[in-house]
Amino acid sequence: MKFIRSVTEVFGYSPFGALKQHAELCGKAIGLLQKQFEAYRRGEFDKVEKFRDEIDELEYKADLIKEEIRTNLTRSLLLPVDRHDLLHFLEVQDGIINYCEHVGHMVTFRRVKAPENIWREFEILLAKIMETVNKYEELVDHISRLIASSFTKREVEDAMFHVKEVEELEHECDLIQIGLYNLLFNAEGMDPLDIHLMVTWVSHLGEIANYTARAADRFRIMVLGRG
Amino acid sequence: MDLLLALIIIAGLYMAWNIGANDAANSMATSYGSKALTLKQIVIIASILEFCGAVFFGKNVTHTIAKGIVPIDLLNEHLVVIGALAALLSAGFWITLATYYQLPISTSHSIVGAMLGFGLAAVSQNYLKLSDIHWDVMGKIVLSWIISPIFGAILAFFIFTLIRMFILARFDIDKVEHVFKYLQIGTACYMAFAHGSNDVANATGPIAAALGYMGQQMPVWIILLIGGLGISVGIATWGYRVIEMVGTRITELTPTRGFSAEFSTATTVLLASYFGMPISTTHTLVGSVIGVGLAGGLASVNLKIVRKIIASWLLTVPVAAGLAIALYTVMVVFL
Repeated sequence: MKFIRSVTEVFGYSPFGALKQHAELCGKAIGLLQKQFEAYRRGEFDKVEKFRDEIDELEYKADLIKEEIRTNLTRSLLLPVDRHDLLHFLEVQDGIINYCEHVGHMVTFRRVKAPENIWREFEILLAKIMETVNKYEELVDHISRLIASSFTKREVEDAMFHVKEVEELEHECDLIQIGLYNLLFNAEGMDPLDIHLMVTWVSHLGEIANYTARAADRFRIMVLGRG
Repeated sequence: MDLLLALIIIAGLYMAWNIGANDAANSMATSYGSKALTLKQIVIIASILEFCGAVFFGKNVTHTIAKGIVPIDLLNEHLVVIGALAALLSAGFWITLATYYQLPISTSHSIVGAMLGFGLAAVSQNYLKLSDIHWDVMGKIVLSWIISPIFGAILAFFIFTLIRMFILARFDIDKVEHVFKYLQIGTACYMAFAHGSNDVANATGPIAAALGYMGQQMPVWIILLIGGLGISVGIATWGYRVIEMVGTRITELTPTRGFSAEFSTATTVLLASYFGMPISTTHTLVGSVIGVGLAGGLASVNLKIVRKIIASWLLTVPVAAGLAIALYTVMVVFL
């Protein structure tokens, strides 16, 4: 509207809504990964590929959000957290969905045959990763309350408690991973190539959990690093 | 002569209307954004408070603009009337133009620049010596332009920090915001009053120079009444649209933040009115919002606006002065 002078320009671009959206996409991608593994186990390979494409699409959306934040987060903005801390946090959070995409592709490379107990362990690992990332999304949700309260001690403590929870869940993921490595390297009668591919799956699934815990840590650094 | 005086009142009313139409929104928009008041209630309350501020507290700044910069006692009445008209017209024109291009300019800076232009034009025609211009007052005014946003920022920083430490840290955030929604009506009113007290002078200063202090001897309170009315009409005829627009866009300023920024702005502006300093309410509010941001109260503050405001200072005074010099010179020749 012309012929209006106003102060609205003093309010700058806020990256926090976009950060939350980005975290939500990570959660969705892992949900799809779970479904992809189920489809694989049932032998529905057309579905496996469909899920891969859906994960790709989510990763692309996440990239767009990442670009939006990086484009708009200029040094002339006065934010309640350090700009570099925030960008670093975003970069690590982006790693979560990147690894989802990697796994989504690797699953489609080869039709492996593995005993039921190994599949069950994969199911358990994926469920645990899902739990970790869900917890992580809750952590990122804290950002709006942190800003609303302008980072009062109580809200910061609540958020920090959540960081610890994410880290504990990641540790549980590690343990399941170790178990899976053991099972895979000692599997009798499995095709070595199948074992090799599945081991790669495990490592990359582990990276999803790792990146989630690292992002939680970056979140902590960002929140505690203020002032 | 009577025609000139009528023109001055019309130009002054346009100025007052413009102030009401555009700048009054800064004070009450938050109450619209937080839905604490309806638009109709806001228009009524803002009109009344701007009017009261103007009539009861607008005298000192009016005095500064009327005779603080240009020593009108040294000039004959005819020249002062022409000068005041030239100042009002050039400031009014510049404000309209700058508003069209969305520049964050200040009406106060424009009228000060324009009055200075009038003085310089009188100097160029040898009616005054350059040293007759009250440069000391001019210096104080410019200093007050620099100090007011900084003072607003510091005050807002402290008020919000106190709210944060003693209220936000202890009570539920949503409940606190709910309570402040109503407390904020108070600070919005305070700001409307303060705004009226300072900015009315941008319209009434030149009128007072022409009609009040010179031969006509119209009492200053009547002039303030005219200015106050102009502002109120501005709010009612155009300002409500600005309030609506600004109100929906500044929801970032939640009640606790709005309270801090408005209280600081109003206090700064009222102090300036007391000292007779014509400052910019808008710039003071921007300073106060930045203060809240520095206290960690806002998700994002765009500091680019600081550069824009400084640029608008550097632009407004010479442009308004230049326009006034041109208009005055032309009018002296023909009228």
